[in-house]
Formats: sequence, structure tokens, C-alpha cells
Amino acid sequence: MEGIQREESEALSQLYDRYNGILKALVLRVIHNEAEADDLLQEIFMEIWNQAKNFSAQRGKPLGWMVTLARRRAIDGLRKKQAYARAEERLQHETEQQPDAWVHNSTEEEILDGDRRVLIRRVIGMLPPAQQQAIELAFFRGMSQREIAAKTNTPLGTVKTRLELGLKKIYDGLKELRDEL
Amino acid sequence: MSFEEFQNRTRLFVVGALDPDEMAEFENARHEFGEEAEAFIAECYSLSEAFALSLKPARASDQIKARLMEMVKNRQAH
Repeated sequence: MEGIQREESEALSQLYDRYNGILKALVLRVIHNEAEADDLLQEIFMEIWNQAKNFSAQRGKPLGWMVTLARRRAIDGLRKKQAYARAEERLQHETEQQPDAWVHNSTEEEILDGDRRVLIRRVIGMLPPAQQQAIELAFFRGMSQREIAAKTNTPLGTVKTRLELGLKKIYDGLKELRDEL
Repeated sequence: MSFEEFQNRTRLFVVGALDPDEMAEFENARHEFGEEAEAFIAECYSLSEAFALSLKPARASDQIKARLMEMVKNRQAH
């Protein structure tokens, strides 16, 4: 990140090689369209290049900053293109085929990342389904608590409780895992 | 707002789930708790990192990196 702040293009190239898979997966999870995800990914890395001077290591790790930026761009992209309806259909279809949206087939490649992924999913998977769903809608769909309440036909207070409890459990679980990660 | 309540709000903040009225309260508390608040916010970004890392990485098309590096090169040239 320091190299990018010094406008060294090789540093961006290395950052891209290291993180494009993670960021692409995130964008794809939000917009459910391969071509649009690729276009957005390019815009995201350009924004990382342009905004790197605003990154401060004291305020968190580079990946957290990039994920926040990528998620925001993906959700903005989804809204701008008014693709909600299409994404809804795709999500519905995927959900029918794959009840747990966080469960994906893993391959033998990237074993280290795979192990980390398994551990994180284990933490998330320990939450009750309603808490997982609330977090999924907030993080990957960009919904506010009110929107989640309306979508799931659940009282706002219940949504708030599900999010707070779920996030606290994941936060505590990640803290325990930190040494392993 | 107590610091415990601020911690709950922070976790909602980093996943983008705060409603606008809560956001104003959150920003006030953030200011009030100062450095302690900023340190906790930085720590909470591990949540959004974890959600991204929980997904199987996807491969971007090979053209994307080439286009990106070309754009950077052009920008540096001007």
C-alpha cells in the first residue's frame, strides 16, 4: 500500500495479483453478473490507486479498507443499474439451489486461503439462520435495518437484535481465531 | 450512549447496516469517545474482511489487469 501511495505501478500490479480474487468474489456476490463484476473490479482498483493517499494504517488493515471500498462500489453499481429485480431473481434461484448462501464448493487450490475460509465459515455457520440472513442482507445486499425488516416481514427491533447478536458472535469468534489466521 | 452500545453500533456501521438517524448518533459518540472509538472501529473492520474472505475467490478476466495497468500508465504519463 505504501508503494501505491508513492504511485509505483508495480505495487498496484502486486496488490491486484494478491487481492483480485477476493474482491471479485465480493463484487460478484453483490451484483451476480460476471461481466459487470469485471468492469467494477477495474474501477475499484483504479479507485484504490486514486484514493491510496487517504488510507491510514492506523485506521485498519489494507484489506478492510479495500473491502469497504469494493462493497460500496458494488452496491452503488447495483442500485445505479437498477438491477435489483434481476439480482433478486438470480439470488432466489441460487438460494433454492443452495440454501446456505455462504456455502460454496471448495477446490484444492489455495489451500491456505481455503483453510482460513473454512474457519471463518465455521464461525458464521454457528449463527442461527435468521441472524445469518440479516447479516447477509445488510452486507451483501446493502440493506438498512428498516429494509431488512420490510423484506423479511420482521419487526424492526427483532432485526436490530439479530444483527447485533450475530455480529457480536462473529466478532468474538474471529478474535478467538485470530491466532490461527 | 455507553461504550458497550457504541461497540454494538460500530459493528453495524462496518457492515453498512446503520439507519440514517442512528448514523448521526454514532458519529456523535465516535467524536465523544475519541481515540478509543477509532481503535475499536479499526478493529471491527475485521468483520467486513471476514465476510469477503468467507467467499471462494473468483478469477477476473485477464484483460482487466491489462486495462487497469494501461490506465495507470496513461495517467502517469500526463
